[in-house]
Amino acid sequence: MSRQEVFDEVQKIFQAVFDDDELMISDSTNSDDIEDWDSLEHINLIIAMEKRFQLKFDIKEVGKLKDVGEMIDLIERKLNE
Amino acid sequence: MNRYTYDEIEVGMRETFTVVVKEEDQTAFRRITGDENPLHREDAFAREKGYRDKVVFGMLTASYYSTLAGVYLPGERSLIHSLDAKFLKPVYIGDQLTVEGKVTEKNDTYHLIRIKAVIRNGQGEKVSKADMQIGII
Repeated sequence: MSRQEVFDEVQKIFQAVFDDDELMISDSTNSDDIEDWDSLEHINLIIAMEKRFQLKFDIKEVGKLKDVGEMIDLIERKLNE
Repeated sequence: MNRYTYDEIEVGMRETFTVVVKEEDQTAFRRITGDENPLHREDAFAREKGYRDKVVFGMLTASYYSTLAGVYLPGERSLIHSLDAKFLKPVYIGDQLTVEGKVTEKNDTYHLIRIKAVIRNGQGEKVSKADMQIGII
């Protein structure tokens, strides 16, 4: 799966979790940019990504993520492990 | 009280308990919340609106979801993260409610479980249902 394909899937996950079909993300999007992105929704994002990409994160690695770009890099790295 | 750890929980596990809603429960709930709505206080008002008697607060019924998680599934290690509840039929004072929860998902990263819960009255009618996300601490 290419980085762009991962990005497109992550985009859909964000739209589903935040129930907003118009929500557009970029690599620099972080929790300051989305009002509803609190700690519980962060958990819901991670769970949705684990399901979609059929992988398991380590709680320490997801705790370090600063923005969407790092999230996508991590997913891409894990998919290629 | 149950004391299930995350590892002991399995998808498909169920827990059930029953409770009878009493007049004093309704009164206590009204006192705690300050919800003085007549639908929950006056039989005459409730009947005028088409109900058999005054209706038990939906949130009082939903409070048994707290008991389900905090005492039964998983019990002691419960931390409720979220709850999406629906109220399907009225509950009346004296109704015996059966509360049942079933584990539908586990998440190893966050040690979270998802529970589908239902509450039925003495006639077996579903009066409420909920989707719960519970952390196991």
